[in-house]
Amino acid sequence: MEEALARYLAPRLEAADVRVTNLLRIPGGASRETWMFDAEWTDPVGGRQSAPFVLRKDPPASLLETDREAEYAFYSAFWGTDVPVPRMRWLENDPSVLGGPFFIMDRILGCESATSRIIAPPYTAVQPKIAENMYRILAAIATFDWRGTDIERVAHVPTPETAWQHELDHWERILDTEAMEPQPIMKAAIRWLRANPPPPAQRISVVHGDYRVGNFLYREDGGIYGIVDWEMAHLGDPLEDLAWSFNQSWHWAKDGRPGGIVDRETAIAHWERYSGLRADPDALHWWEVFSHVKCQGIWVTGARSFAEGRTNELILPLVAYSLINAQDQYLLRTIGRLP
Amino acid sequence: MNPSPPRVLQGVAANLLSEVLPRIPTPFGQQLVGIAAMLDMMVAEEFDRAADRLVTENRIVRDLLAAGCGLLGDAVPPSVPEALAAPAAPSLRVSDLQRENDLLRAALIDLHAAVEQTPGPAARDLEERIWAELVESTRRRHLSARP
Repeated sequence: MEEALARYLAPRLEAADVRVTNLLRIPGGASRETWMFDAEWTDPVGGRQSAPFVLRKDPPASLLETDREAEYAFYSAFWGTDVPVPRMRWLENDPSVLGGPFFIMDRILGCESATSRIIAPPYTAVQPKIAENMYRILAAIATFDWRGTDIERVAHVPTPETAWQHELDHWERILDTEAMEPQPIMKAAIRWLRANPPPPAQRISVVHGDYRVGNFLYREDGGIYGIVDWEMAHLGDPLEDLAWSFNQSWHWAKDGRPGGIVDRETAIAHWERYSGLRADPDALHWWEVFSHVKCQGIWVTGARSFAEGRTNELILPLVAYSLINAQDQYLLRTIGRLP
Repeated sequence: MNPSPPRVLQGVAANLLSEVLPRIPTPFGQQLVGIAAMLDMMVAEEFDRAADRLVTENRIVRDLLAAGCGLLGDAVPPSVPEALAAPAAPSLRVSDLQRENDLLRAALIDLHAAVEQTPGPAARDLEERIWAELVESTRRRHLSARP
C-alpha cells in the first residue's frame, strides 16, 4: 500500500521521489477504514518536504453505505470556518488505485479522540471547557450558511416541514432492509414518531449526522481542533444533531451524562446560547426517539454485512452483540418503559 | 467430560488478553485482539442460554398472538393466525428456534399495530401485555459480558 500511495501522490505533489512512511491503520473507523501516514518528497525547487496525512478508504462492507463525495464536500465546506475540520486534499473514486475509493486529508497533530481518555484524568478537569466547545461548534454547524457551497450540489434539500419525514423514511427503509430479525420495539417507536411529528424545523441546517464525543479531536487545554466522521452529514433539522449527541450509546462514563462529559441541561443551554435557536422539549424528545431508530439501522447494517460474509471486520459482530439489544433498552428508557 | 464451550471460549479470551494483547505492537492490532476477546466472552454467554431463551419467548409470543386473535376476531392481521398455524421448530437447534421466533415476532409487530388502533380497555390491556413482553425480551437478551 505504501508504494501505491507514493505513486498516487507523486503527480499531485509535483514530485518524483515521494516516500510514504509510518502507515498505520487507526482503531475505530467502522464505516470507512482510516489510516494515517507520513509523506516525504522533494519539491520542484529542490527543497525537502514532509507532511502527515489521514486516508479514509471504503471497505468492502461496513456499518454504513455512504457517499464519500458528499462527506468530502461537507468537510471541504467547513474548512477555514468556525467549525474546525482537517483540510481535504484529494478524492479518488477509482477503486483500482488502493483497492477501494478513498480520500486523503491533512492530519491534525497532538490531539486525542478516544472516548476512554476524555472521561479520565487529565481530561476530566477540562470537561466543562470541552463540553462548551462541543456545543458551541455544534451551534456553528447549525447556523452555517451552506447555500452556495458544494453541499448544495451533493445534498438533498428538505423543507422545514419534511425534514423529519425524509430522515425517518430513510432509516426505516434501512431497518426494514438490513435487520436480520424482526424489530418490534423499533417498529413501535416508528409508529409513534409518524403519529406525533415534530414542529417544522426552525431552519434547514447542516446536520453532521454523528455529532458526539468520539468524533472530535481534543487537547488538554479543553480545545477542540477537528470535527471528523462526516459520512452521515446531510441537510435537515438542527435538533437532530443535538438529540443524537444525547443518545445513551455515547454515555461513555455510564453516569447518565451525554458523552460522559456534560449534563444535558448545560449542553442545551450552551447550544441555545451560541446558536440563537430553541431546543423545544417536545421536538427534542421526538429527535431523541428517532436517534435510537437511526442507531439501530446502523448496527443492523453492520451485523448483516458480517453475517453474509462480505467482511470479516470483528468490530461489526461486536457492535451487533453489544448494541442491538442495548439500543432497544435505551429506547425503552427514553419513552419511559424502562426505569 | 469435555470442558463446556463457554468455558473454552472464556479460556481463549483470557489468553488473548493476558498473553497475546501485550505483545501486539500497533494500536489497531491491540484493538483487534481486545475485540476478539470480548466477542469470545459474549458468545460464550449466549451459547449457553440461546435455546432456553428462544423456547421461552416463542411460547410467550404464541400466547399473545392467540390473545390477539380472541380480541380482534376477523379484524386480526392475517400474519397472526398464519404464524400460529405454522409448524413449531422441528428441533431444538438454535437456528430452527430462531426461524420460529422470527415468524412469531414479525406477527407480533402486526398485532401490536392493530391493537394500538383498537379502542377499549381489553385492547389497552393487551397492548400493555405486549409492551411488558417487549421489555422482558430485552432482559432475556441482555449480556452481562458486554463492554
